[in-house]
Amino acid sequence: MAQPRIGVFICNCGTNISHVVDTEAVRDHALSLPGVESVRTYKYMCSNPGQEMIAAEVRERGLDRVVVAACSPRMHERTFRGASRAAGLNPYLFDMANIREQCSWVHADGPAATLKAAALTRAAVFRVARQEPLEGLTAEMCPTTLVLGGGIAGLTAALELADGGYPVVLVERTDRLGGNLARVDLTAPHLDSARDLLTERITRVRSQPNITVLLHTQLKSLSGFVGNYTAVVEATKGVAALAEPVRVGNVIVATGYREFDASRVTHYGWGKLPNVVTSFEFEKMLRAGRIETKDGRAPRYAAIVHCVGSRSREFHGYCSRVCCMTALKYSQEIKSAVPDCYVSDLYIDMHAFGKGCEDFYKRGSEVKTLFLMYGKNERPVIRRASPGDDCDMLIEVDEQLSGERIEIPADLVVLMVGMEAREDAGEVARLVNISQDKDGWFMESHPKLDPVATTTDGIYIAGTCASPKDIPDTVAQARAAAGRILARIARGKIEIDGVFAEVDEERCSGCRICNELCPYSAVEFDGEKKRSHVIPAACKACGACVAACPSGAVKARHFTSEQILAQVEGILA
Amino acid sequence: MSYEPKLVAFLCNWCSYAGADLAGTSRIQYPPNVRVVRVMCSARVEPAFVLEALARGADGVLLCGCHPGDCHYSEGNYKAMRRFPLLKQVLQAYGVEGERVRLEWVSASEGQRFADIVADMTVRLRALGPSRVKSTLQADLVER
Repeated sequence: MAQPRIGVFICNCGTNISHVVDTEAVRDHALSLPGVESVRTYKYMCSNPGQEMIAAEVRERGLDRVVVAACSPRMHERTFRGASRAAGLNPYLFDMANIREQCSWVHADGPAATLKAAALTRAAVFRVARQEPLEGLTAEMCPTTLVLGGGIAGLTAALELADGGYPVVLVERTDRLGGNLARVDLTAPHLDSARDLLTERITRVRSQPNITVLLHTQLKSLSGFVGNYTAVVEATKGVAALAEPVRVGNVIVATGYREFDASRVTHYGWGKLPNVVTSFEFEKMLRAGRIETKDGRAPRYAAIVHCVGSRSREFHGYCSRVCCMTALKYSQEIKSAVPDCYVSDLYIDMHAFGKGCEDFYKRGSEVKTLFLMYGKNERPVIRRASPGDDCDMLIEVDEQLSGERIEIPADLVVLMVGMEAREDAGEVARLVNISQDKDGWFMESHPKLDPVATTTDGIYIAGTCASPKDIPDTVAQARAAAGRILARIARGKIEIDGVFAEVDEERCSGCRICNELCPYSAVEFDGEKKRSHVIPAACKACGACVAACPSGAVKARHFTSEQILAQVEGILA
Repeated sequence: MSYEPKLVAFLCNWCSYAGADLAGTSRIQYPPNVRVVRVMCSARVEPAFVLEALARGADGVLLCGCHPGDCHYSEGNYKAMRRFPLLKQVLQAYGVEGERVRLEWVSASEGQRFADIVADMTVRLRALGPSRVKSTLQADLVER
């Protein structure tokens, strides 16, 4: 290898760096390092003049590698890669030394911080000398999308994609479309009918020629990578509608939630006391138009209990988000159907965060519901009343606002059961290679900035499989997922970053340790050659296989052992 | 001047490196003894990296990854979790004090935790005194 010609560019960041680090001393040190041709300091290296200075220096001094000592690469690596490219260099012949976030901002001792900044710059110089020019790859993008789940999220995403002109395969486990929403009567806070919302979606999905609906079907396996997945689906009952594997470019997981099993809260008596019902059982009554006890009487006393399975130490710590507004809807519906009924609403906190929800709460408060607040750790107890009482059940509750332990009568109790991850969520996560959080919800790529994608490229999540959501949030996420996919399909090809692992077939012994280690199934085994190879588009560059290979045959491009060891050497030189 | 230990830290790009950056943006102070090497995942760290750092004069090596369950690559940190104790055993068998190498979980929101770990490890390394790995290796070479 010819001696590299490295340029080092040290940023003062206004005075963010230079008020602690003596950047001129770092400059002097950098000049003494092997291969360094030029060192410049500047007040803002990321500014246009700063970037132009880099480009000019590269051209005038014939530099072939660049080190920028400035802020965190998480901040400006892209900027300076761009500047290097603009100067005619391969962007991977650039490295950054973090002398702000990990130096001047955390150390007040000037001389010590200057020594450290010099060491970090030296490490980057040693590393960059061993870096290699890399090219990304492009691959085809199959325009078909696989949507898992036929609830409101899956239906909406499928329509968005199909209306955009691209094929969709919609896979639904059960015998009908609609999901959990089909079990609901009216929806809060607008009191519009769930059936109306769904009928519009389902009719359009059924008549949209770009959508293939597969009922009684589930995903059996998924292989490949973004743009080029192969999905095998199987029948949950009867004969599979699609015998052949389907080629898809992207997948939207919209598998929904399941309701919390109310029998787990033994002191509520669900399953034992006939007139304790879950919110879904109550929805059934509402759809039938009859609010009554098991023996057909109109309830004189009704009680609604919030947070069943939610916001609790024993069950789920999170809030299920839709129950508070649904509970308010119930009290309004009970009062309108049975005007003489006394309705109590037992809550911990009233969460009315959505658009229109605070107004709905105000209206709900006007229908003469008795609101009783109980403590998170002092749940109410429901028991059968004595024969002399004029009600079926009594609810004992430590009422927080009055500070008293009280008993309230009830003929009908509605338990607001929370949402929880489906029992097969783990299996789905494994099939499509995404993560679950501690509660079993599918994890997004970034909780704020990328709440639609996952850490597996081409796999998106929508609706309540990701976390409890109301209908507007579910629909927004479904449309966002579809929008992301439409944008990628429109580009036709996918660009793959130059940083991925590769196998040296000469050194590979075919032991297949790497095959099993890869969380993305990106390392494949060629049965004929008896060698493993990496599918670049599927590789996320974690390097787990590289560290595990007993033959040293796997190389992490841009994070090679040689480069990392050179950095270590530079740090300690 | 009292002895100042050299600490090399391998941080995963997604959680721990971001956590260290957060310590910076929050201006949380910690000892300047630590020098960071960024890797994509804690599972990328080969035993050779740790050995090389010790051989080149590091007094301690810290490896930080995402908390269990939070790994950007689903389970890379579990791989690090399984490998690290083995490496530590080998090092201890050769007389390197166990406290010189450490595996910790630092999330992107735990700037303070990163600073605390570095401070704690620096204190412990200072108490242990300089590592003898580099000097022993050099003496060994001279003898041959």
